[in-house]
Amino acid sequence: MSTYNLKLPPPFEEAVKSMEREIMRFLVRSTGDRDDAMDLFQETWLRAYRAYPTLRSEDGLRPWIFRIASNLCRNRARDRMRRGRVIANESADDGALDYRAPNHLNGGPEGALHLKRSIARLPGKQGQALMMRKFAGLEYTEIGTALNCSAESARASVYQALKKLRIEE
Amino acid sequence: MKTNRMATQVKESPPINDRVLDAMIGQTRPRIERAMKILRRPQARVGVIPSPLGRLLVAESDRGLAAIHFLFISGGERTLEMLRRKFDLIENEASARRIEAEIGRVFEGDFNATARPVDLSLVESDFQRRAYAALRRVPPGAVITYHGLAATVGQPDSQRAIGNTMATNPIPIFVPCHRVIRSDGTIGNYGGGVDNKIKLLRAEGFEVGRDLRLPSRAVMGHRRTGIFCRPDCSAARRADPTRMLIFADAKCAGHAGLRACKLCKPA
Repeated sequence: MSTYNLKLPPPFEEAVKSMEREIMRFLVRSTGDRDDAMDLFQETWLRAYRAYPTLRSEDGLRPWIFRIASNLCRNRARDRMRRGRVIANESADDGALDYRAPNHLNGGPEGALHLKRSIARLPGKQGQALMMRKFAGLEYTEIGTALNCSAESARASVYQALKKLRIEE
Repeated sequence: MKTNRMATQVKESPPINDRVLDAMIGQTRPRIERAMKILRRPQARVGVIPSPLGRLLVAESDRGLAAIHFLFISGGERTLEMLRRKFDLIENEASARRIEAEIGRVFEGDFNATARPVDLSLVESDFQRRAYAALRRVPPGAVITYHGLAATVGQPDSQRAIGNTMATNPIPIFVPCHRVIRSDGTIGNYGGGVDNKIKLLRAEGFEVGRDLRLPSRAVMGHRRTGIFCRPDCSAARRADPTRMLIFADAKCAGHAGLRACKLCKPA
C-alpha cells in the first residue's frame, strides 16, 4: 500500500548469526586459549549489541565487529602483560618448541603447532592482519577498517607477516 | 613464490573444527542471555501509514506511542536512528494500522482518539518531558499559548524554549503541539507544516480564518476557577493570561468541564 521503503537494518541477532564462527575462530587464534576466547566472544557480542545502533551501514558490520574483537584481544594481551603472567608461561613453552621441527610445516600436528607459535610471536598488527586475511578471509579494505589503517597498510602487514614466517622457516 | 606456498600453508593449517566452534559458541549462550536481560533495548514496532496529513512514519513500544514523523518533511532516517538508539525495531503492519485508525478518528471529530498512552523515551530533557506532559492535559477543542504552556511548566519566561520543544516533538498529533499558538491569537508555526496545523485545529472545532487567526466564537477558559468567558469580559481581562486556555466555542469549554461566566454569559 505504501510505496515508502522502510529500510530497517536486520535485528542484531540475525545480522551476526552468520559471523559467529568466524569471530570465535579469530578469537581462538588470537588468544590461543579456549576459555579466553569464550570470554572475549561474550564480550564482543555484548559490546557489538550495545553499539549496533551507531553503525551506519550494514556493509560495515563485518570489519566493525572484527575491530571490536581485535581491540578486546589487544586489551586482554596488555592486561596480561602488566600482570606478567603470560611471559613466564610462554617463555617456558617457547624453549621447548622454538628450535624444533621447523621443516614440518606441510601438514603434521607439530608443524601446525609451530606455525601457531610463530604467528603468536608476530607483532600485534601483523598477526591480526594475517589472521583476518588467511583464516577469516576478510578483504584488505575490511581489514583496514578493522585495524584502523588503510587497505595498503593492511596488505603490507600481511606481507610482512608472511615474510617473517618464511624467514623462520 | 615461496611466500605463496607459505600463504597456502597458513590457510590450510590447523583447522578448528566447526563443531568445536559451535560447541564453544553454545557454551557462551547462557552467559550472553543472562547479560542481555539487563542490556536488551525494549522493542518498538514501526510502520508507514497514509493519513490526511500525508504519509507518516509511526513507532510504538509496549509503553505507548513513541514516534510519529511526517515523511514529506524529511526521509525519516534521523527519526529511525534516534529510535534505534532506544529500541530494537521491528516492522509491524498491525500496529501501524491501529495508529492509522486512531488518526482517522481525529478527523471524524472523536475527542478521545488520541487518549492512548505515549512513550517519551526519545525525549532527552526533563523540561521537555514536563512540557509534553502538561500539553497532554490541554483537551481537544482548546489551545494554549507558548507563554501559557511555559507558565504551566513553571518557567513563565521560557516561551522560546517551549517553541523549540514543540518543534522537536517526537509524537505530534498525540502530544498535541498543534494546540499551542501565539499570544497574539495567530496560530504560529508547525513542524508538520502550517497547513497541517490548520487541518488538525479545524478537525477539533476551530474555524481558523484565512488570516490564521482564531475565530470570534472562541471563549477563554480559566483553568483554576473552571469558568469560561467571552474574550472581552472584564473578568477574563483581569485574569492571569497564563492560566487561560482558549476554547473553540462554549460547547467545547462545557465539554471540558468548565461553566459559563455569570457576567458575560457566553452562549
